[in-house]
Amino acid sequence: MDKKRGETIWTSLDRKATAIAEFTMRQYRTRLSTWVVLGVGFLAISVVLLFYIDAMNTEIEAIDNDGDSLDWDGDGYVNGQEYKYGTDLNDPASHPGLFDPPIDPEPASMYINEDDYDWDYSDGSRLEVGIDDDGDCNNSSLPESLKDDNNDGTPCNIVLEYDSLSGSYFVYADPYVDEDPDEDRYGKEAQHRAFILGVGKLGFVFLLSIFVPLFLATGLIRDEMTSGTMQYMTAKPIARGEIFLYRMLGYLAIVWPYLLVVCSLLAIVSGFMGPGDQIFRFKDLGVWFSILIAALLATLVYGMLFAFLGVLWKYGIILALPIAAWELGMALLSMTVPESTFLRMSIVGWSMSIIDSGAYLVWPDMALFTQKGAWAGGTGDASFFFGGGNELPGYRALEWAQSDLGLGLGPYATTVLSVVVLFCQAVFFWFIGQLIFKSKEIV
Amino acid sequence: MIPDLAQEGKAQQQAWVPEAQAPVVMLNNVGKTYGRYQALGGISLALSGGVTGILGLNGAGKSTLFKLLMGKLQPTQGEVRLFGTNPWKNPAPYARVGYVPENENMHDWMTAHEFVSTFARLHGLTRDEAKKEANRVLEFVGLSDVMHKKIGRYSKGMRQRAKIAHALVNDPDLIILDEPLQGCDPLARTTIMNVIRELGRMGRTVLLSSHILSEIERITEQIVILHQGRLLAIGNLHAIREQLDNIPHTIEIECKDAKALAKDVLSLDMVHGLQFPSSSKLKVFTHHLGEFHKRLPKIIVDNEHDVMVINNPDDDLQSILGYLTGGFR
Amino acid sequence: MTEESPIDVSTPVTGQGRMDAAWGSETGDHAAVAQSVPQTGQVFEQVYVPWEGALNPRWMRNWAIFRHHVLGIVRKGHRPWGVPTKLVLIFVLIASMTDVALTLLFAVIGEPSLYELWGVGRNNLYAHILGFFPRNMLFYPLVAALLVGGVISEDRSNGTSALYFSRPINRFDYVGMKYLAVATIQSFIIIGTLFLYYFVDILAMGRGWAWILDTFPMFLTTVFCAALLIITYTSIGLALSSVSRGKFFPGIALLAVLLGTKTLAAIVEGLFERSILYLISPYDSVAHVGQSLIGTNVIYEHPWIWSLASVITINAISLYVLSVRVSSMEVTRE
Repeated sequence: MDKKRGETIWTSLDRKATAIAEFTMRQYRTRLSTWVVLGVGFLAISVVLLFYIDAMNTEIEAIDNDGDSLDWDGDGYVNGQEYKYGTDLNDPASHPGLFDPPIDPEPASMYINEDDYDWDYSDGSRLEVGIDDDGDCNNSSLPESLKDDNNDGTPCNIVLEYDSLSGSYFVYADPYVDEDPDEDRYGKEAQHRAFILGVGKLGFVFLLSIFVPLFLATGLIRDEMTSGTMQYMTAKPIARGEIFLYRMLGYLAIVWPYLLVVCSLLAIVSGFMGPGDQIFRFKDLGVWFSILIAALLATLVYGMLFAFLGVLWKYGIILALPIAAWELGMALLSMTVPESTFLRMSIVGWSMSIIDSGAYLVWPDMALFTQKGAWAGGTGDASFFFGGGNELPGYRALEWAQSDLGLGLGPYATTVLSVVVLFCQAVFFWFIGQLIFKSKEIV
Repeated sequence: MIPDLAQEGKAQQQAWVPEAQAPVVMLNNVGKTYGRYQALGGISLALSGGVTGILGLNGAGKSTLFKLLMGKLQPTQGEVRLFGTNPWKNPAPYARVGYVPENENMHDWMTAHEFVSTFARLHGLTRDEAKKEANRVLEFVGLSDVMHKKIGRYSKGMRQRAKIAHALVNDPDLIILDEPLQGCDPLARTTIMNVIRELGRMGRTVLLSSHILSEIERITEQIVILHQGRLLAIGNLHAIREQLDNIPHTIEIECKDAKALAKDVLSLDMVHGLQFPSSSKLKVFTHHLGEFHKRLPKIIVDNEHDVMVINNPDDDLQSILGYLTGGFR
Repeated sequence: MTEESPIDVSTPVTGQGRMDAAWGSETGDHAAVAQSVPQTGQVFEQVYVPWEGALNPRWMRNWAIFRHHVLGIVRKGHRPWGVPTKLVLIFVLIASMTDVALTLLFAVIGEPSLYELWGVGRNNLYAHILGFFPRNMLFYPLVAALLVGGVISEDRSNGTSALYFSRPINRFDYVGMKYLAVATIQSFIIIGTLFLYYFVDILAMGRGWAWILDTFPMFLTTVFCAALLIITYTSIGLALSSVSRGKFFPGIALLAVLLGTKTLAAIVEGLFERSILYLISPYDSVAHVGQSLIGTNVIYEHPWIWSLASVITINAISLYVLSVRVSSMEVTRE
């Protein structure tokens, strides 16, 4: 037979692929249920987004972590001001108003959030940070030895030492340094990061990536086989494995753009709404990108898996339900124990590690940042002052949503490995799926 | 692999080469059982060219036979060959086959044109070629005026024709139609029959199944009779009937004066017996149907009988099956 | 017969002859060929015999529908529930009797500290009905999903609703009995095992009247909460079954509603420490009501009356959808 230039076996394969993929897309487009499923998914994600917007627009109530805005003796001068002038905090007859010339009392608000964190991140394992913004360490009457409580030679600073074993920092602080952080500033940033990670992990990679394939992919082959319309397609010169694959392509052509749209919407809204000096937080786009990649791969693998289960058995969906439950368990596990070996036997575990590496690359200071929340100006779990448990707002959310790299590899290696594993899973499910499809009799 | 996004160029044929000497359809001792139910038991058959009607009652194994040919089912015994290739293992011969399934479900959400052109592209046609081919075959089956309407709104006859169009789109050498006339009104039947006859005249091999003999009769005389999964007869319909001449044929004649006609008919020596179901009806029993039909017109014309209907009621499937399986029906 | 048939598209339509062709038996086509229009006519004598039988009372007809569905679980010749459905029902029935088994075990061993852990108590009664893992995550929603799966939607897609509607029953009998049947089967599993649990405890531990009087109100409250849970699951499930077609779609949709809203609310609680979104989760609303009524630890921040209102609203919306869909359902194959 005469071949034109550019005519290969691929071009005709490719025609079949586009034909079936287009066919599948059109089929899904004409079904109301597709739009209901996608719409409900969008709605669910939007609800979380609304809570996020609300949180970003709500001022977090400032807490006086060091208690210097109180007026213990009721003389009109708050403790911080009395402390600054060296008068007795507990004696109403001793306050700066009795000085000559008398000093007017300062408002209590001056002593709330007056000494914020000055912890600059660098990747060294020992950091010397902290500036005593309000001067209650530098200018206090404490002896020099007490001003350098951590014995690093510099008074009124904080030393952070990174513990690579636990992945967190030890805080060695001099007294009254960075002791009254700005809750709003920390909380907004923490909630912002927690939102991105939480929505990315549980919203995208778990909720959307399981339920959308459960609705859309299980019937890819099975529905056609039950209704008998598969007769038309299998009577054409095309292998069953190809049908399986190309139907999948059509499904992906619906689901992937959908994920892209939802993800972009969230990225744009949170980029503008998020805290910070710049108008748009461009850096977060890296995390959103890793979330998108993870969700795309997860929908691919789940789609292949559920379509395969649909081919395997008329009641394949019943097999899919325990799997979905297992994946939910694995999703929660990956957020608490990311290094667990069970996760290697799941799909969601590998997808989550892509997000974790993305977050690790974009926010290298995450360990430092969570430590800030935990330390809470010396009143958090790292201190004895207020009995601990006074973490900054947003810390718990961040701690819940964030997890470390669980594979013991660097972020790039983790991403590459996870992507490869997910692809292999997809190919594996496709392979058994088409083997079983080939051996099925179409009645 | 570079995707052919522009979809330009000419359609390419499959690299599959059919066996030159093989019959189009060959079954060698093919059997198919579902659990303990035997749908087909050891059928051997080879067909090439012409229109062949597969006849059988419901459940005789006609659809099973077709599904085996189309590789939908795996034979429990024997071998199936389509252009010399095993269709269960290799879908390549479908490039030369068009199949109209019995199934009534269709992709109701598509228009007939979309339906035909989409499936044409599975033969490796480009988008434009597929559209052109779809126009051609839909014109051929007479759906060109409604081809941009959703299939879900079609009547049964139109759906059948859309199915036939989709099977013809690759210009196949073998066309398999499973109950193409089922549920169609007379007009649609006539159209579909004309289409099938036309295909036969074009030299295609056509296989069609039915449980109604008169339908098949109007299309072809070459038949295969299946009964309870077994091959009962194969060959020319009338030849088969002639072979059963030891059993009398029945001819039903409706006329004004049955008694008068009977008198004249009795003069023919091949007449075996007579019966009067009513005053205007006459049943004639004979062993030599052909001979009788040759002589009958002369009698009618000579004696000026007013004959309205001449019918061979037992030439239909039921009675042939009855004879073949050994009982009168 | 062998000649080319003269009927084709151009043949004139001649009324009677054409009718014969269309409605005649298998030889109809050629009847149209040679037959002229018959000139005879015939008048049939019409005799109508009024039906004088007595219709069974309405409840009896409804009982037949109900029985048909419930008995289908155990017997052939009634509604054919799928084999997987039956397997899952048996599995869940056994799995939800773990506390019964443990109570018996520890009563036999006679170790009071272990017994305290598993015997009848406020928390254990609550957990038997409303515990999330594994009962309301894996067992009860799955049972509800499989039961509601095809109950109405299969009738819709197969056109078998006509079998009901051509009988002297109305649509609300039809859907009401399906509702009751599905709820009853769930009750066998959920409330049945609860009763078993309670009575095994009484028998095994030799409880006296004082203990029974003491715990019975708590037990009744638990039964009430279980009924609330079953009603809520069934309402949502049947509403979904009435708006969709196919066997599995309503089932997946029910699971998506139950677990999806729960996950969503958990995300919001985890991120923003607000429990208010649990109001959209049917399970959590029932659980909150249950916690307050039975008197266990309440883990939600909003008042429980809101949850009660939410449960009522969810049921009302579902039943409204169900009744609207059923009353407008076309008796055909959709």
